[in-house]
Amino acid sequence: MSFTKTLRPWLGATLMAALMAMPFAAAEQAKADDKVVVGALRFTSHSAGFIAYEKGYFKEEGLDVEFKFFQAAQPIAVATAAGDVDFGIAGVTGGFMSLADKGAVRLVAGVLHEKAGVDGMMILASNKAYDDGLTSVDQLEGHSIAMTQVGSTFHYMTARIADHQDWTIDDVKLVPLQKVGAMIAALKSGQVDAMIMVPHIAKALVESGDAKMLGWLYDYAEYQISGLFTSVKNIEENRDMVERFVRAYARGIADFNRVMLAENPDAGEQEEMIKIIHNYVYQDRPFEKAAPPILAGSMNLNEGGAMDVTDIEKQMTWFQEQGLVTKDLTMDELVDTSFVETY
Amino acid sequence: MDLEIRNLTHRYDDLDVLRDVTLTIPSGQIVCIVGPSGCGKSTLLRLLGGLEQPTQGEILEVGAPPKGSLNPLTYIFQDFALLPWRTVSGNISLVLEGHQLGKSEIQGRISDVLARTRLSDFAGVYPRQLSGGMKQRVAIARALAVDPAVLLMDEPLSALDSQTRELLMDDLVSLWERERFTACYITHNLNEAVRLGHRVVVLSRRPGEIREIVDIDTPLSERSADSAHLGRIQTQLWEMMREEALTADRQLNDA
Amino acid sequence: MHSPDRTVQTPTGVAEPIPLRPVAKDVETRRVPFRGAGFSPKALWYVPPLVFLLLLAVWEAGSRFGLISPLVLPAPSEVLTAFRNLVESGMLYNHLAASLQRLVIGFVCGTILGTVVGVLIGLYSLARSAFRPLVAAIFPIPKIALLPLFIIWFGIGEGSKVATILFGSFFPMVIATYGGIDAVDRSLIRMGQSFNMSRAAIIRKIVLPSALPAILNGMRIAASISIILLVAAEMIGAEYGIGAYVLLAGNLMATDQLIAGVIVLSMLGLIVSWLISLAERHFLRWRN
Repeated sequence: MSFTKTLRPWLGATLMAALMAMPFAAAEQAKADDKVVVGALRFTSHSAGFIAYEKGYFKEEGLDVEFKFFQAAQPIAVATAAGDVDFGIAGVTGGFMSLADKGAVRLVAGVLHEKAGVDGMMILASNKAYDDGLTSVDQLEGHSIAMTQVGSTFHYMTARIADHQDWTIDDVKLVPLQKVGAMIAALKSGQVDAMIMVPHIAKALVESGDAKMLGWLYDYAEYQISGLFTSVKNIEENRDMVERFVRAYARGIADFNRVMLAENPDAGEQEEMIKIIHNYVYQDRPFEKAAPPILAGSMNLNEGGAMDVTDIEKQMTWFQEQGLVTKDLTMDELVDTSFVETY
Repeated sequence: MDLEIRNLTHRYDDLDVLRDVTLTIPSGQIVCIVGPSGCGKSTLLRLLGGLEQPTQGEILEVGAPPKGSLNPLTYIFQDFALLPWRTVSGNISLVLEGHQLGKSEIQGRISDVLARTRLSDFAGVYPRQLSGGMKQRVAIARALAVDPAVLLMDEPLSALDSQTRELLMDDLVSLWERERFTACYITHNLNEAVRLGHRVVVLSRRPGEIREIVDIDTPLSERSADSAHLGRIQTQLWEMMREEALTADRQLNDA
Repeated sequence: MHSPDRTVQTPTGVAEPIPLRPVAKDVETRRVPFRGAGFSPKALWYVPPLVFLLLLAVWEAGSRFGLISPLVLPAPSEVLTAFRNLVESGMLYNHLAASLQRLVIGFVCGTILGTVVGVLIGLYSLARSAFRPLVAAIFPIPKIALLPLFIIWFGIGEGSKVATILFGSFFPMVIATYGGIDAVDRSLIRMGQSFNMSRAAIIRKIVLPSALPAILNGMRIAASISIILLVAAEMIGAEYGIGAYVLLAGNLMATDQLIAGVIVLSMLGLIVSWLISLAERHFLRWRN
């Protein structure tokens, strides 16, 4: 009795001390790490960030990363401009260029890049158009092609095919349908003749017989589809943090390319990585259902976050020529080349 | 044309409203029907004009309606029932359209009936611009326009203030003097009944039965508001109704 | 109370002043204080334009001096320039022509169909039982959610755009019309029957005019919904159209064009609302 009586206050005091110390310890940790908010889409193409997070690459660089999920890339850019998000991945679109022109955001690294031989964007024909003779990309001239929006990556990709084929974008009828779902509906019902689509959706459409494959975009344009961006404020005031983030992100890219794009993958390692990605992508499906589209959606990422500046300039010039982006925009406003290798 | 009610009984589901009513509305006379609230007066009027079908008994039109009558049994409502989007003449025109009358014939009837009710100056006016009394005058003009055989008047003065009511009673009297129309006049106001009725029928409380029929011989034009004779008849009617009204009042409150 | 000319009517009909009772010297007197002021705000006609101009001036100045970032809001002068470009390039005409055609066809068809169905529901038990639950079930569905299906049903041409606006105006019209008919004063219908009017004449001359205010009100709502849905309708394969213009400006983050387009939409709404007010003043002039 007397033992417990004397021990109790001691136990209590120790517990209290431990409890009180915990939040302090956490606060200490947070103070040491830079808090970074990353805007992300639940797409396989955003996986490098998820991998870097789960494998602790960000932590190793002293970054406390938090993901905020969005439905589309453009709002991430807007949120970054507003300072609510620090990093995001966006296609090099007209909308992104306008934001860059307003001095709000800048690309710091490359992410998605078409590469010959690695499944990327697929060019599809509707069954109806295919039956009517549209059986190869060479015959696209004069047909209708679905896209999300004017000034989107789809818009630009079509222009690149046109370039390659010696006709211009005015020789096809581009149909803006806003949403990928609407594009699929229009193609399935034969109301547009063709479209360009991300690989996992495209492959599924071809497999189910809802569309026919015409070719891979990489045969016509090996181009920089999307990049990692941050706010100009971060670049100017927090350069060190941006450098560390890009470094960690590049490690995620390296892991992704090595495991997901390998010709003879190590099955165990690949399954482990798909499990990591599955924490973020296709969460609503069981693992067995999620794994194939994750694998199918794996596209080439820029090794080391290297950036194809030559191509980005080409894109910028094209958007300016189309009158979709102001001529005032310069490459210096769009891209900061000091963080990664450029080519 | 006379209107004859023979052994009329009316029921809503299990509720007896009127029981064995037999009554004649002779041509050229105003028959007033009075009774406590809920005695079935209004039901009786709806039955008379064919807006409802009696459970038992029958209602007969005796003799031919006047030549050219477009609507032998014509109502005048307590709430006037004028279309607010039509002018005075438009409201009268409403009941003349659909009878294959020519445009000029309709116009003729309208100006004739407006002249008879001294409303000619108000032909192009909308109802909302008129007082309650004027609205009811328009409704009376509309009823006269179809050359009715019998006017079925459902408490036509109840929605009016007492001064307007006096004025309109005078109007109705002079109108009757000129036109000698036939009417069944429902009211709960005994003063109206003794001023306008050649015959006053007193109904009992529900189920409504005829309690008394009082004939008043004094010509309508000689009945003044402060006549002692009429006052006595009014008191006599009230004596008859008092018990009924009291019981009816209780009946409603109990239910 | 202090006026000395108070009069009273004597039996002879001659008015005589009544003398005021003299107040004793040592009794305190005071005026009744006025307590009824306030609580009746009036519209001052010169204030709204002043407020509007002041707001524009502050906005422009804020943009010029860098207090308002161009990212947050473009300067009014930039919006004006965007609007001028729109007019001078002739694109405003193209966009307006395309949008107005869709609006007019969709709205007119939706309104007529909606009124017809509303009248049927208002008059016939069978139509009422059949359509009313359907309308209640379909009305709240956001038409935008059905866009992929609309593409398959009506194509990516004008069909799906007109259909979107048609659906948008149809349902409020149905509900407004049968609501208006339900509210028709039954005593007027009874009056029509008592004068032996035919059923058709009662519907045409009593029921429909009675329901007209409700129907016009429904048109006001239907027109607003049509303009709101214009942007959604022009999401699908539209080359021209104010909605398409606004969407494109949004995609390109061209906020000056975005606001210019939104102002055009808002003007469109004001004009339609004004037209309906004219119609109301014409058809419902008996009301005031």
